[in-house]
Amino acid sequence: MKKFILTVIVLLFAGLQIADAQKKWNEIDFPAINNFEMPEVEILELDNGIKFYLVEDRELPLINLNVRVRTGSFLEPDSKIGLASMTGTVMRTGGSEMYPADDLNELLENRAARMETGIGMTSGSASMNVLKEDFEELLPVFIDLMQNPLFPEDKIELAKTQSKSAISRRNDDQAPIASREFRKLIYGEGSVYARHTEYETIDNITQEDMVEFHNRSFVGNNMLIGVIGDFEMDEMKSTLRRVFSELPAGETIEIDLPEINYAFENSINFVDKQDVNQSYVLLGHIGGMRDNPDYAKLQVMNQVLSGGFSSRLFQVVRSDMGLAYSVFGSYGSGTFYPGTFTAGVMTASETTAEAIDAIIGQIERLQNEPVSEEELQQTKDQFLNSLVFRYDSRSKILNERLNYDYAGLPEDTFDRLVEEIREVTTEDVMEVAQEYLRPSDVQILVVGNSQEIGDQLSKYGTVNEIDITIPEPADDREVVEGDAEMGREWLERMATAILPNGSFDADLTFEADNIVQTPGGEMSIGIEQTLNFQEERITSIVNAPMGQVTIEIADGQGRMLAGGNEMPMPPQQLQQSKAELYRNYVYLAINKDQLDVEFLGMKELDGEEYAHLRINDELPLEIYLDTETALPAQTEYRQMDPQQGRRISVTVEYGDWQEQSGVLMAYETISYSDGNQVSRTVISSHSVN
Amino acid sequence: MAIRNKLLLSLLSVLALPGIINSQGLDTFEEKVTEFTLDNGLHFIILERPVAPVATFVTFVNVGSVNEPVGNTGVAHIFEHMAFKGTKDIGTTDWESESRAIARTDYVYRQWVRERSKPNPDQERLERLKQRFDDLVEEADQYVVSNEFTQIIEQNGGTGLNAFTSADATGYFYSLPQNRAELWFSLESDRFLNPVFREFYAEKNVVMEERRMRTDSNPVGRLIEEFLSVAYSAHPYKNPVVGWASDIQGTSIEDAKRFYQQYYTPSNITIAIAGDVDPDRMRELAETYFGRMSPGRPAPEVITKEPEQRGERRFVMIEESQPFFLSGYHTVSQTHPDFAALQLVGSIVSEGRTSRMYKRLVEDEQLALAVQAFNGFPGTKYPGLFLTLAVPNQGVSLDKIESVIEEEIQKVKDGDITQEELDRALTNARANQVRSLNSNMGLALGFAEAHAQRGSWRESFRALERLESVTLEDLQRVAQTYFIQNNRTVGMIKNQSGDDEEVAMNSEEN
Repeated sequence: MKKFILTVIVLLFAGLQIADAQKKWNEIDFPAINNFEMPEVEILELDNGIKFYLVEDRELPLINLNVRVRTGSFLEPDSKIGLASMTGTVMRTGGSEMYPADDLNELLENRAARMETGIGMTSGSASMNVLKEDFEELLPVFIDLMQNPLFPEDKIELAKTQSKSAISRRNDDQAPIASREFRKLIYGEGSVYARHTEYETIDNITQEDMVEFHNRSFVGNNMLIGVIGDFEMDEMKSTLRRVFSELPAGETIEIDLPEINYAFENSINFVDKQDVNQSYVLLGHIGGMRDNPDYAKLQVMNQVLSGGFSSRLFQVVRSDMGLAYSVFGSYGSGTFYPGTFTAGVMTASETTAEAIDAIIGQIERLQNEPVSEEELQQTKDQFLNSLVFRYDSRSKILNERLNYDYAGLPEDTFDRLVEEIREVTTEDVMEVAQEYLRPSDVQILVVGNSQEIGDQLSKYGTVNEIDITIPEPADDREVVEGDAEMGREWLERMATAILPNGSFDADLTFEADNIVQTPGGEMSIGIEQTLNFQEERITSIVNAPMGQVTIEIADGQGRMLAGGNEMPMPPQQLQQSKAELYRNYVYLAINKDQLDVEFLGMKELDGEEYAHLRINDELPLEIYLDTETALPAQTEYRQMDPQQGRRISVTVEYGDWQEQSGVLMAYETISYSDGNQVSRTVISSHSVN
Repeated sequence: MAIRNKLLLSLLSVLALPGIINSQGLDTFEEKVTEFTLDNGLHFIILERPVAPVATFVTFVNVGSVNEPVGNTGVAHIFEHMAFKGTKDIGTTDWESESRAIARTDYVYRQWVRERSKPNPDQERLERLKQRFDDLVEEADQYVVSNEFTQIIEQNGGTGLNAFTSADATGYFYSLPQNRAELWFSLESDRFLNPVFREFYAEKNVVMEERRMRTDSNPVGRLIEEFLSVAYSAHPYKNPVVGWASDIQGTSIEDAKRFYQQYYTPSNITIAIAGDVDPDRMRELAETYFGRMSPGRPAPEVITKEPEQRGERRFVMIEESQPFFLSGYHTVSQTHPDFAALQLVGSIVSEGRTSRMYKRLVEDEQLALAVQAFNGFPGTKYPGLFLTLAVPNQGVSLDKIESVIEEEIQKVKDGDITQEELDRALTNARANQVRSLNSNMGLALGFAEAHAQRGSWRESFRALERLESVTLEDLQRVAQTYFIQNNRTVGMIKNQSGDDEEVAMNSEEN
């Protein structure tokens, strides 16, 4: 019994001791931090201009070589956007003279070695990451890849196909739409900072362009090379000297970028995306440069606004208001060109304006009240106490040094920043907020669902709706000169034939059966359509097997009604429908005087002669007129098929012309796509009223 | 604070492929690893890696969305968010008053949820309850010191602060300067010993925004959610990790607390620390701070097993976005002997530029922008799927993509894979292992996961031995066993303007 009690007492005592040892977060005394020897970065420079940065890291049996190349997409012409990036891609995928693509891939993957190349906006790169034992053998392969890439046509075609597929997908997700369009708002649509690939710019790129771009860029004078891993320093230096000395020195590329003349303005911009229930919002204006003497103060300001879980935007917009999972904002400072001040949020459609206001409110607060000493201290501590992570791996030390050199910043840039941050005061934070932020002059971009957002955005001004339809490539066919005078004559004749009583502004209504070819056979759809050519208004009642659909296009807007539901027409479909209105022969007849038309001669189709006209308009159209009646027998145009990513040729044949109330209509119409029949339309009656 | 997306991580999961190479094998790690289990069952793994004066701390809880009860999908993830809200001492000006207000709020909220969920809710009562609820939330909120918990960590130089929830597990992690380790022990033990459900309802709105971002407003997110709910009929892998919207809304503090009590028991938690730390000191601190957690009952197991699939399942989503292809076959969990062979099939057909599907679909025939195949989706703790996904190039039909993928899978079934391909896959698995060993975060997370789900941190090395013993016959056998039509689910996105309806719509105005 006694023993039992004793045990209990001992246990209790022990328990108490443990309890005593637990400390609250603010009661803990931290021991001194363990010493850390920072490795020196060794520098090696060759006569051909290459500068190496070397650090030994013996932890793993790997060697890493990263080449930074002074080049970038800023060099490519507007007509060939994508050239730099594609050069970077095909350099690797196409292989080199000694190691063509398939051989190279097998060689590398058999040894689990990695080699990659790429070119971005203001720098290029080539990297090699290999097991130590393979270094000597694979280094010449890497050199050959950098110096003698093949750029074979098949891999260029592959890269083009991939780029075009990527273009066709660029409007699928909100985030890339938002960042792309926001850059256009800040830097200007055509600027080197905001431009991007299109089908046409990809088509314009040739093998010669790539070879030239590569030869100019991958030369000694443009290379900084970081080398890290399990090697012996002197041995490595002599290997590098031996192998890399053969590279040509070439000409140094200056990263010389155009000035930005930013005019502060207030704007509200919108991209409609019907398949989302959240708004992706970006707002802001131009930012500044890294060498700004206020850089340190701005970093503290950024941290207060949006640095981590304890920042103001996180606290207010996320934790307190529950309006977002993702909210952010910072004043960006660029190395080679000005950054942007960008704040943003992803929030439910219904709370779009509330979230925008909350963010702007926090920006204004930075200007209107000083941060407290406590908040400033917390923010500085956050930075200063985490400084040790700056060097938690040897590669970080190497990269920091190389990055500063590439940017033309002094070696002690970071140390200076640390000192400057220590000195920042609460007044400083307010001053830079006042000087650099303009919450009343922000450009707001919302990518979201117009149906759910409603009119929330109108309070920010007149909403500028951005059309993100993907432009089609330019028509690659040769342009043949025609006869304008003859063209006008034939068009007049056609107009008179179609509208014997002249132009009209009433509604044209017709009923028809549309027989469509589907993989499952023919399908017949009843249509009743009313067109008004003056007002550009279309109403279609479509009786499809799956039910009735009403489509209305008026005032430039389109909507569809089906089964009691109403939804807006997707922009692409709206555009398509409008294009078909503009190509309608009645529309052409009414608007004959505004059209630029040419006569291209007589042309034989199926043994008959027709007058060949071409309408040179935004939507080019070729028309073949019956020489006796002057009625169109056939029209032809080319259009982009977004599914196939190429132009297809559409041919429409007209027959069985009948007149009603002074308007002739073709009662039989057959459409072909690249020669394959897609549909046949048979009109049963039409009227004008 | 994130949903771990296994799909995107699949690239990393290959990176995490364990293996042994030269000096970086199990032996060297045996010397650097210390492990111990507290009396209450909480297991610690300490890895000494004095490369820099920092340390990374990972709390790995062997609970994921698979463990959620009906009506509370998403609760594992909601709880994970709540773990950032502080403790009884941190984040409040008056815990006693605050906790009373929170309890009253949740009572009213549960009544509101109950009424809302009836077939014919009483709208007036809902209004009254909502009003009362709003008032109580306001009352509770007046005591809140917003984000004090995370602010302490960040002020002390904490970096990489975050957490994840997956189908299989929940993990919490951040790094500190090594001399501040005790701060981690104090904060981490406090938050899991005494969870507070502060700002619970506002945080659920944050979670709803996370759902909108990852799933509702993202075509591929929608496809994956749909895919899992079609591929699984009974096992909880069918539910989204973030939870169904109505469940997120319906979950109360009481639900979250019950979930915590069942699954956040010491024996269900593994802690891994990697960096410049002294294992003896870590052990002392572990006893001091985590010894006070009571053992609790063992966490419940998942009872439901996915029944055999009796026929192929397919679905098509007509969307505004461009086409996307997914197919999956039910396979096995990571402890099954066939797991290694299935993993190798995945890397042989789709990892790297020499892999079969990449070479054919992306390079040679230019059918796809990208293609990927891997085993173990949406998790590996229970039998997952061997998933193949493809992003078609412009103008390539989904039928074409599917038939080519099928042909490639048929080749594996026919025994077409060569020894050279298998060797190459193993070489890359070994090298990937080496490349993954230089990060405190990666090592700590990998060791904790291996211990919690496979019994020992050493398993993260032993799996390579299993890969090395796979033969060509095994590859063929697993393909024949699992890649059969009745066991398959196919899901795709078709573009709305790419179907026949479009032709009808557009050809009316001739």
